[in-house]
Amino acid sequence: MLFQGLVGLSEAMYLWLVAAGLSLIFGVMRVLNFAHGSLYMLGAYFAWVAFRISGSFWVALVVGPLLVAAAGWVLEFGFLRRVYSAPEAFQLLLTFAFVLILDDAVKLAFGPVYQSPPTPAALSGAVRIGRSILPTYHLFILAVGGLVGLGLWFLLEKTSFGLIVRATAADREMARALGVRSSRLFTGVFVLGAWLAGLGGALSMPVRAISPGMGEFIIIEAFVVVVLGGLGSLRGAFLGAVLIGLLHAYGLLFMPVFELALAYMAMAAVLIVRPWGLFGVREA
Amino acid sequence: MAPRRGATRRRFLQTSALAVAGLGLPRVLAAAAVDLKLKKPIKIGCQSILSGPLGGYGEFMRKGAVLAMDEINAQGGIGGSPIELNFRDEELKVDVGVKNARYFVEDWGADFLIGIDSSAVALAVGEIMPSLNRVLIVTHGATEKFNEDLVFKRHVSQCFRVCVPVYQDGIASALVAKDLPVKRWATISPDYEYGHTSWKMFRAYLKRFKPDVEFVGESFAKFGTVDFSSHISKVMGLNPEGIFSTEWGGEAVTMVKQAKLFKVFEETKAFMIGMGSAMDVLQGLGADYPDGVWASGRYYFGYPDSPENKRFNDAFKKRWNTYPSYPSETAYTALFALKKAVEKARSIETEKVIAALEGLELDRPAGKCVIRKEDHQAVYAVPWGQIKHDPKFPMPTLANLKVFTTDEYYRKPPFAPVEG
Repeated sequence: MLFQGLVGLSEAMYLWLVAAGLSLIFGVMRVLNFAHGSLYMLGAYFAWVAFRISGSFWVALVVGPLLVAAAGWVLEFGFLRRVYSAPEAFQLLLTFAFVLILDDAVKLAFGPVYQSPPTPAALSGAVRIGRSILPTYHLFILAVGGLVGLGLWFLLEKTSFGLIVRATAADREMARALGVRSSRLFTGVFVLGAWLAGLGGALSMPVRAISPGMGEFIIIEAFVVVVLGGLGSLRGAFLGAVLIGLLHAYGLLFMPVFELALAYMAMAAVLIVRPWGLFGVREA
Repeated sequence: MAPRRGATRRRFLQTSALAVAGLGLPRVLAAAAVDLKLKKPIKIGCQSILSGPLGGYGEFMRKGAVLAMDEINAQGGIGGSPIELNFRDEELKVDVGVKNARYFVEDWGADFLIGIDSSAVALAVGEIMPSLNRVLIVTHGATEKFNEDLVFKRHVSQCFRVCVPVYQDGIASALVAKDLPVKRWATISPDYEYGHTSWKMFRAYLKRFKPDVEFVGESFAKFGTVDFSSHISKVMGLNPEGIFSTEWGGEAVTMVKQAKLFKVFEETKAFMIGMGSAMDVLQGLGADYPDGVWASGRYYFGYPDSPENKRFNDAFKKRWNTYPSYPSETAYTALFALKKAVEKARSIETEKVIAALEGLELDRPAGKCVIRKEDHQAVYAVPWGQIKHDPKFPMPTLANLKVFTTDEYYRKPPFAPVEG
């Protein structure tokens, strides 16, 4: 029972890493990044390549997300930047195009087969209480998800970068009027968001099959999470992910027939009561 | 809004497939044994899952079909006409599958249709075959409703299938399970037609073979499940001694990896995966595939030990630099079945080809097989076996093969209902 909840929470942590970046990017840049799931996929592939070369999961875990951050920089600096002033539909088209391009790019580069390196020995154990089993890897994911949450909180609340990010998210025109250089800020935020998604992907590498298109399923859930928690709110993204994870784990246990619908029902309920999400800011 | 794959992507897949097909056409056709003087290529529309986490399947299907096309065209084509293939992504969606079939026949001018991975898509496309009036040969979708209901009971005679149906997953599996020291079974399976129908058959037949078994629980995972932890945790909480699963493709890979983390292979006595010997799963899991897992498929490259199978394996490896997976064999067989039937019928007219396919005997890589007249189902045996790491192969293989005769596990007309 308790372990089922912890398992659900650990599944939620991947979602949280993807949703955090998605929400952050939307909050600051007002861009809904469809390609965020593809960045998660790139994280898994880059980490896998790093693993193949170095033979170390830990090296892969550091290098993979950094490479995704670099890819995020290319995406923002080379492409997205050009459509900030265009209507939103064009931004959506551009990011959606990247979903298709990146899927086919990894298919060309790595083939359509599933890749999956072994789980690192140090994390292959399990904790047992009675008959219940919780894998060490799941505990590790919980720890990383929590640490990233703390790190983001510190970054946003305690540093000048965070101050600028929050100010821009709250009032873009005013921030710009006060001298915030939004182009550099946007690049920074996008790269950070890409790194978070890449970290999620790198963490999934040894325990989930890596394949082209793997980002498409997580992006749908990440959208649900972000809408639930409120677009642009990190706290909302975290609690949204936790809520979805728990609904999934306990839903399977108690009402398997409805389990699929639960997340969407929760989203619908929140949208009716608070259309701006649990922690979102009501648009004036 | 879920991202949707738009027309551009399909167009891309389609044109690239045509390009591949074009490259494979030999410039000069060898003399054909039977010359129908059609003066046009025979066009065959192929659909399978070509994108997403299960896209590896469609890729193996495409490889098998292209190999067959190359060989057939080198032999003078079908009745003197070269084959032309066109591939479309079925996306495992009923509406997409139906749209593809209509496109193939009404716009592209297909003479025959093959492929289809999803049971639900196979049933839906089967429904419209009378109005399209083309022969459809299914190469993967495995629901028994296709041959038993659609063809046998409702006489939708355009539909054929060259892959073994869920009898492999639900009945041959029970023949293996009855001799295992397991009384308490549970399942983690896909939450759609194939997963539910296989589990239902397994329960009904195992109960018949071994009345004291219990079925303690089930967890059905939606298509597109990226994490099986909650499902595994739930099912293990019910204290099963054996796990039966029909997860496939990348989802089977993820499930096995995570089951390993949850120590499922230490806590239970048996683990069975109906599609576990598919090449993409063997390659995807690699060293991570636990020894002793029971696995099967719709063809296994190492069985039977026949000249025809050896020739197919060699040709496939030479062409694609990988071992064949079962959708490769079934697509390959579908095209050769069409060749044989058309040349026997001396026509590509649907009615005549149907008559020629009924009762047709094939010497396919998977062994000798006959297409049953009553339900248009190809009848041949595929083994179950246990995963073993043999250093002679670059991926895990099957050992301790259990082969049953088709008499033992193929349901027969008039198809009594499956109780349970």
